[in-house]
Amino acid sequence: MSEPVVQIQNLSIDYVIGAGRFRAVSGVSFDVPQGHVVGIVGETGCGKSTLAQAIPRLLPEPPATIGEGSVIFRGTDLVQVPLWKMPRIRGTGINMIFQEPLNSLNPAFRIYDQVAEAIHIRRVRERGNLVVDRREKPPFDYSRRPTATSGEALTRSVLPPVAAEKAARHRTDSDGTIRGEVLDYLRLVRINDPETILNLYPHELSGGMRQRVMIAMALSEKPELLIADEPTSALDVTIQAQVLTLMKELIEEVHTSILFISHDLGVIAETADELGVMYAGKLVEFGPVAELFEHPRHPYTKALLGAAPTRYKSEGPLATIAGNVPNLSHPPSGCRFHPRCPIARPRCTVMPGPPLELVAGASEGHRSACYFPEEVASIP
Amino acid sequence: MTTRSAPGGPSSAGGASPARRAWGGFVVFLRVLRANPLTLVGFLLVVLLAGAALVMLTVPHLLTPYSVNQLTLDYNQAPSWHHPFGTDGTGLDIYAMVLYAIPIDLAIAFAIAGAALFWGGALGLVAGFWDKPGTLGGALSVVILRVTDIFLSFPSLILALAIAVSLGRGVPQLILAVLLTWWPFYVRLVRGETLAVKHLPYVMAARAAGVTEGRIVLRHVLRNVVEPVVVYFTLDIGTVLVTLSTIGFIGLGVNYPFTPEWGSMISYYQSAGLISAYPWTVLGPGLAIFLTVLAFSLLGDGLRDVLDPRSRRVLAGTGTGGASSTSPSEREGATAEPSLNRSGLPEPIPTASRGVSSP
Repeated sequence: MSEPVVQIQNLSIDYVIGAGRFRAVSGVSFDVPQGHVVGIVGETGCGKSTLAQAIPRLLPEPPATIGEGSVIFRGTDLVQVPLWKMPRIRGTGINMIFQEPLNSLNPAFRIYDQVAEAIHIRRVRERGNLVVDRREKPPFDYSRRPTATSGEALTRSVLPPVAAEKAARHRTDSDGTIRGEVLDYLRLVRINDPETILNLYPHELSGGMRQRVMIAMALSEKPELLIADEPTSALDVTIQAQVLTLMKELIEEVHTSILFISHDLGVIAETADELGVMYAGKLVEFGPVAELFEHPRHPYTKALLGAAPTRYKSEGPLATIAGNVPNLSHPPSGCRFHPRCPIARPRCTVMPGPPLELVAGASEGHRSACYFPEEVASIP
Repeated sequence: MTTRSAPGGPSSAGGASPARRAWGGFVVFLRVLRANPLTLVGFLLVVLLAGAALVMLTVPHLLTPYSVNQLTLDYNQAPSWHHPFGTDGTGLDIYAMVLYAIPIDLAIAFAIAGAALFWGGALGLVAGFWDKPGTLGGALSVVILRVTDIFLSFPSLILALAIAVSLGRGVPQLILAVLLTWWPFYVRLVRGETLAVKHLPYVMAARAAGVTEGRIVLRHVLRNVVEPVVVYFTLDIGTVLVTLSTIGFIGLGVNYPFTPEWGSMISYYQSAGLISAYPWTVLGPGLAIFLTVLAFSLLGDGLRDVLDPRSRRVLAGTGTGGASSTSPSEREGATAEPSLNRSGLPEPIPTASRGVSSP
């Protein structure tokens, strides 16, 4: 496996609401390898979105606080970085696509202005440290701050082509102006007639087109890590398929790593290389996606796969998992899944619960937080 | 109207220059006026007032043969062709004095409302956006809001009167007195709007894109706050004028007849005790106040439509009923028109079907 873009180590996030305090994410550890798509699945409320927003430090703090753990990006622990420094890491370093495509574009600006702002941010930073490969520089050394005033470049192409920028990894066929590049990225996300789209306001676009504009904005900053937080859940199935296909193609074109959050196993199977399964704030299983689908090593993963509707089974009620998602202010002791688990034993209720460990006999990198991973296959 | 020849947002927009955008906005504004006759009345009155103010500042004798404070030999004359609003006991032509007061009254009203908008708005933006408790911004926010509360807890007119008394008569004193009681309303208004806007997903999306906090405030939040605030500002011009007149009426405003100002005029003639005998002395300034307040109130309602991109595009597309499709350089060109029906009502998502179907 190549060098990871981001390493999440033992990350725990608490919400403090009134006198109550509950742990939405507890002790999650995984890596996102370079150029890979890592999917995270789980039920509603299992902490997927909290995790996604905590990585670029976008969670409102308070009520959220990062209890412990670290997020290593470019050799630095983002948890320790003061919040005011985070804008320099967001965008070109870690970018994010949100669940609500309908509200994630500013209603007051035309599409051009929004995409141009993203491109402008990237250009300013590329000029700021004239090194195309950002890894050659020590992290966060943005001491040579850009001198261009921010407003002018949005309306005109005042930025001269920089030699380093010409050699940038993602070549475009544009004339080097911001406007040309905006058009390039709109074409990249397969928007027809981008010249017209430029002048429209977000409310004039359909949901699928808005989501594609969001993707264009995120990609135009050439982020090292793109976090997609259920990017397709607000879209209908046909548009969903388009956006997913598009994202897969774009991963090839623009080399970026993706952390893909979803509650939809079909979407994950379509997209991801590695898959993490979250339950009640914990990562219960992590491994290559095919391996997880074929040979789940955690009873929850198995139950989740069983509950996914398939087209082969058209009769009878949909399968469900017995019991309810636990209340995170009083999680079950030990393994959090044990009240619903068909193979639970007394040992499962003992604190601190099973750690996420490599499964003996499984393929490389397959980890499971179950004491009895080999018994999962025997669950009917 | 000039919409027929309007280039609107040119087809080369995207990188459109601010001037062309301003022109496009103006075109939309004209369409709003056409769609809404009351706004048109308000707009025409405002233009008339502004024009009159300009004339009175440059070549006043176009509108009145008299100079400011020029006495005539006719005194206590009822309205006539020579003296449309009559004359007072010293022979001042009321019509001339009302005209000379236009630029002064407008300047005072705009100075007060504008300064209140600027300072109150800036404070409200800061207080609304950086309100996290336990931070420097949170502390600042609390200070701003408590000071605002203190000012708001006084009846503003009484406070303005008290300040006016202590400062004495004169235009700068009057502006300061009213301004000191006026800015807190803008703090409250802008803060409330900011609080609502800053939690919207697009603000977080901007943050995720690496936009700095300062830029989020000045670009993303401010632009979405500005719309209700500008409408309030326009309506507020009228309120300021009424307050000015009230202060003038009590006799604390500017020093009439040395400086012409409507409120003070009414006060001056009323205190002479001659209203019943010579009622026309207060008719002119009263009418002027009424029309000015009306003008800005009517205009304010229409401005909301111009500033909201949603209604704006609808108006831009339907306003001319075919005129825009005749112009190839029109923003929508031929593509927009077919998606809009001729009754003037837009289809729910007019542009989604505009030849930009999904791949």
